Amino acid sequence: MRISVCCLYPDIMSTYGDRGNVETVLRRCGWRDIAVDVTELRLGDRLAPDTADLIVIGGGGESQQHLVAPDLCKVKGEGIREAVARGAAALAVGGGYELFGRFCQPQRGAELRGVGLFDAWTIRENALLSGHYDTISEAHADRVIGELVVRWRDTLLVGFENHGGGTYLGAAAQPLGQVVSGHGNNGDGTEGVILGSAVGTYLRGPCLPKNPALADFLISAAVRRRYGAADLPPLADGLEEAARAAAMQRAREAASTARAKPRLSALAEAGLRHRRHARARAAPAALRGSGERPLAGGETLHHGGNARPGGSR
Amino acid sequence: MSAGSRPQLGPGASARRAFAVSAGKAARRGTRRLGKGNGTTVPGIVTLAIDPGALAGLLAEISRGAVLVTGSNGKGTTCRMLAQVMRASGLHPVINAEGSNQRAGLASTMVAKAALTGHLPPDPRAIGLFEVDEGSFPEVLRQVSQPKAVVFTNIFRDQLDRYLEPAYIKALLEQAMQTLPADTALVLNADDPRVALVAADAKNPRLYFGVDDLELSRGRADPTSDFPRCPRCEGELTYSCVYYAHLGHWACRDCGLARPQPQVRLTKADLSGAYSTRLLVATPIGETALEVPLPGLYNAYNALAAVAAATQCELPERSLPAIERTATAFFRMEKVRVAGHDVYLALAKNANGYTEVLRAVLGDHQPKQMLLGLNDYPGKQPDTSWIWDVDFASLTGLIPAPVLSGNRAADLAVRLKYAGWAGPGDDGGLAIEPDPVRAFQTALARTPAGQPMWVVSTSVVLSEMRSWLAQLGYVREPWREQTGAGTWRA
Repeated sequence: MRISVCCLYPDIMSTYGDRGNVETVLRRCGWRDIAVDVTELRLGDRLAPDTADLIVIGGGGESQQHLVAPDLCKVKGEGIREAVARGAAALAVGGGYELFGRFCQPQRGAELRGVGLFDAWTIRENALLSGHYDTISEAHADRVIGELVVRWRDTLLVGFENHGGGTYLGAAAQPLGQVVSGHGNNGDGTEGVILGSAVGTYLRGPCLPKNPALADFLISAAVRRRYGAADLPPLADGLEEAARAAAMQRAREAASTARAKPRLSALAEAGLRHRRHARARAAPAALRGSGERPLAGGETLHHGGNARPGGSR
Repeated sequence: MSAGSRPQLGPGASARRAFAVSAGKAARRGTRRLGKGNGTTVPGIVTLAIDPGALAGLLAEISRGAVLVTGSNGKGTTCRMLAQVMRASGLHPVINAEGSNQRAGLASTMVAKAALTGHLPPDPRAIGLFEVDEGSFPEVLRQVSQPKAVVFTNIFRDQLDRYLEPAYIKALLEQAMQTLPADTALVLNADDPRVALVAADAKNPRLYFGVDDLELSRGRADPTSDFPRCPRCEGELTYSCVYYAHLGHWACRDCGLARPQPQVRLTKADLSGAYSTRLLVATPIGETALEVPLPGLYNAYNALAAVAAATQCELPERSLPAIERTATAFFRMEKVRVAGHDVYLALAKNANGYTEVLRAVLGDHQPKQMLLGLNDYPGKQPDTSWIWDVDFASLTGLIPAPVLSGNRAADLAVRLKYAGWAGPGDDGGLAIEPDPVRAFQTALARTPAGQPMWVVSTSVVLSEMRSWLAQLGYVREPWREQTGAGTWRA
């Protein structure tokens, strides 16, 4: 068997050890005797929709987003949407996830039009305020940084989040999962997005090595797209499971620290979150597309740790 | 206020300065007596709280001004090498201890050097030599009235959760450079496109250093590198030669901007030694052969930066070989003799650091017994994803049966598995022992009698291991070392 993986901008969008996601796909395929052709697509390269079984884009900072957004829209966008419509799997992480939505409002400059694969948009809180940082600590205070645990199907996904944007899903979009611990899309309890076999997520760390179930979901989809069916033999994931357990323990500790915080500051944070949501929903209706989706109910959420600190600038 | 002229304080301000310095000194004694670390920041915080002008005031009293060294990697080692050259030239460098490289730490250093009068003892040969945390560079620069030179080693992706992206660091440095006095020289790494064009529009004197030994080229792009874009037009950079990470002979495909021609050049290097390196360095004055007692290309760059800074400061060429007397500092290939083994402790705190330390030790391609450590700092620096950018894959087989330690040892194990060091149902001989002391014992037990062992790790694992070794009497506490043998003392 043989699948083809398209890596988008590996030279630009590969923050936070994102190459680990591709390495994970390569190894987990290799251990199952599935050959993988990796195609690296750079600025200016088109994506041929019938040759991509799995599309991967990593995270990147704002300067990287500015660099790739026009190319992503004009050169590759159609190919990406077409490939996913024909069953290709995709993994878009962090800054790449943001650009796979309708638009992304960066901290400086006009909003960046996205691929429009996902019915989602991203607002940077600070873009609506002054949009300028003088020191590292100021820039820091405007980001969500910490452990993230997400309920997905019958398992938990673990990882790390570090983002300045809040992502909001339109009515047509389905979240990847529900936040068990951490911040996720925007603090509303959802994390990521899933469309067919295309996944967008803030989970980093990188996300696939410690979440073999998600890695195998993507590999299965890629094999299925190529061969019509997929039956992956299970692998011994002892080391991965140990690292997952440790990540969940860290998330529990972070959440219990957050719960121990004084009530007043928790209230202030809730107020801030409310204000932020109000502003995000006031985003231009034309760009936002199909509008609101109701908050998912019924889940017991333990938000902890990763709410934006301070924020009173 | 120019360097060397003694600032005149009024009687009130003078008394306040003296009080602030005394209080800082008391805090230093207190923290040490209580065993609460080595007092690298508390004295500075106390002093600055009483007299916010104390740091700038004390720095202005250093008669020959100061050299600042900043960048992601190599600051401390470059400073130690340069300090040796300064001493050999008859100067008395005033140095900050490693880790005291932010504002409060630097203030602590100066408090320790000052007399109870609140002034430095007069010394016409004193010259400041400070490593400065790249994230704190703007606020430190504001305290130094007349820096003689600023040395930029490199900018790597480092501690993303703390420093965010290299772009932030670069922007922060650029902003700070706008306040730089016009006659401060810039000593810059020509091979790093993030550094070479710093303050491009400024008229300050610039001295470039770079590697010109093409045999050191890795031939292909380094898998661990995060390549920057063109510093002028954001275009794609091409490399005729990559030394490591994004350091090399670069040029912009779009606007034609290229690596500046360095005036201080490494013309030849033998990096095959696991313990030392032989270098040939050309300056505008002549060529000097150096046997640097530290392995690896990254240390060759450190020596080159030190030679460049010495050249800029017009130190005599005959003083350059003093670099050979650079002692290894704690955690910088520090050698400890334990139970018949030479144990080397090496700090690796980011992707490029980890890769280069491993390449340095394994430069002779001989398998070695190692303990690899990885820890995070909960709530402070929780992100360890950079280990996926370490080039473990090319070192497969050179580190048989490694012991993994630290609170993120499990993450490191997964990383190594996917680098091909293990497989499903095959643990590849990896031993996971989060506790640093037990890991050390395990690794030493795995080391054949009389053979050396290397510990390569992030800092918490190393610190815990070192404290334990200190309790057993194998090493001294770092701060005793700093004030003791003279390695650290001005």
